[in-house]
Amino acid sequence: MGRGRRLYGLSAVLAALGLAGFALVLGSLLKSGLPILTWHFLTSSGPGGIGPEILNTAVLCAIALVVTVPLGLMVAVYQGEYLRRRSRRVRELDHLRATLMSAPTIVVALVIYRVAVGWWHWPVSLMTGALALAVINWPFMVAVSRSALASVPDSYREASLALGASRFETVIKVVIPAALGNLIEGIGMSLARLAGESAALIVTAGVNVSQHWSLWGPGETLAVHIWYIRTEGLVSGRDAEAAATGLTLMIGISVVLWLASRAARLFGRSQGGYDGA
Amino acid sequence: MSMPSVTDRMPRRAAGVAAGLFGLVGIVVVASLVAGAWPMLGEPRSVANLIGAVWDPLRGRFGMAPFVVGTAAVTLAALLIAVPVALGAAVTVVHQMGALMREWTLRVLAVLTAVPSVVFGWWGLQMVVPWVRNRVGGPGYSLLAAGIVLALMILPTLSLFFAQSLGQVPKVLREGSAALGATADQTLLRVELPVAMPALVNGLVVGLARALGETMAVQMVIGGQTALPRGLADPGATLTTQIFTDITAFPPGTAGHAVLDIMALLLIAAMYVLVRAAERWGGL
Repeated sequence: MGRGRRLYGLSAVLAALGLAGFALVLGSLLKSGLPILTWHFLTSSGPGGIGPEILNTAVLCAIALVVTVPLGLMVAVYQGEYLRRRSRRVRELDHLRATLMSAPTIVVALVIYRVAVGWWHWPVSLMTGALALAVINWPFMVAVSRSALASVPDSYREASLALGASRFETVIKVVIPAALGNLIEGIGMSLARLAGESAALIVTAGVNVSQHWSLWGPGETLAVHIWYIRTEGLVSGRDAEAAATGLTLMIGISVVLWLASRAARLFGRSQGGYDGA
Repeated sequence: MSMPSVTDRMPRRAAGVAAGLFGLVGIVVVASLVAGAWPMLGEPRSVANLIGAVWDPLRGRFGMAPFVVGTAAVTLAALLIAVPVALGAAVTVVHQMGALMREWTLRVLAVLTAVPSVVFGWWGLQMVVPWVRNRVGGPGYSLLAAGIVLALMILPTLSLFFAQSLGQVPKVLREGSAALGATADQTLLRVELPVAMPALVNGLVVGLARALGETMAVQMVIGGQTALPRGLADPGATLTTQIFTDITAFPPGTAGHAVLDIMALLLIAAMYVLVRAAERWGGL
């Protein structure tokens, strides 16, 4: 390393520092959680088991995705394919989307708590939690769809329109298929983000699992379970149980992201798609 | 485009309705918060009460200063730790790695951005809180612990954005700088960083927004004390953690809940300002 490369050396040291931080997190998670991560732990309910939490997490994420994927795509199509590119309405919708996307999820929970629980008399339940997740994920899904659609070159659209297709036919048969890889990757990312949500769900879906499972009953998720047993719970061995739950959640998220990127490649992920925003 | 065809009218309307609904969600969010906050915003006496430093709901004192200070301190501490480390990581990724290694590192970073915040909170309780207690003193639950946990949490996001920003700097600029006799350091400081600055600012704003809005990771390690903190080793609370802890304690309709709505409005206003700032000074 020559004399003029001190900053590169400093950068490597800093990068190693960051890496060490994450090694500490993952290492302590594995050390505490792995010994009790058994099949019994994953499937049983009550203390020492997270079966219901896995089910609740899956159900909540599924409902939120089913609602927000089409809605997010529709807003993005309206902005990107129907409105003029630099029009005021496109900019206003972009501002709204960016603001809602960075709004703290606890703020969304505050609103849902007032509107759904207070005005509509919904109970603290899976349904209310799903509503909160849908509001949280909608702007994210709009962003994912916006950048996926934007990655499709305009020449595709022009060719389709020149052949006499309508805007709608162009969107359905040309633009969305071409953007599918990026869309799938973005949906995977939003699923991972939803699975890790906790603050909003503690308020709207509660910290209990009900004896008789129902969409209108309370539904604790994996992420909420980690918080609950570590800060409020009185069970013994809570560190290990929280860590094992965290490991389960991390493994689930990794599998989702891996599957999404495999599927995305199958459908032809192009450059300039989802970028971590 | 002229000549909107007949088959296009319905789909266009459907997409327009979806966009309208999306706008409605935004309006409902703000309107319900304003409606909830109204009883407290109406009179001058309560506004003076709100900007005070004493939080004592039972005596009707709703000073929000401890939480504003807590939010600012925690966010600033997180950025001070995370930004240099993320810059270092970005420089290393862009300059010191082969193509394959770089691709894998970027992929791992993208996965790390999805680590749930409660996992960081758990780690904070496990390692950071005891570390602060032993090394810095105090109860361990502190603004400092929250700042450290948050720093690690936003690190992958920041590194990813910074690496992309530096990677976008055209190679000709670097080569030109080197041809003029500049060292690698000089090129980095005087060419690459200035050229990448708008994109870097953009990433900084995204990281800042994540830190500002985080609830759980902070709540688990900050201690939840509502007095004005006097130092980084003191326990405290932030706007988000205070909304979280009091949301069920004060039912809607009470003065306490109205103050939570005001805190939420403050946070949303801050996010809107950040969005506009990123648009004005950031790339894109």
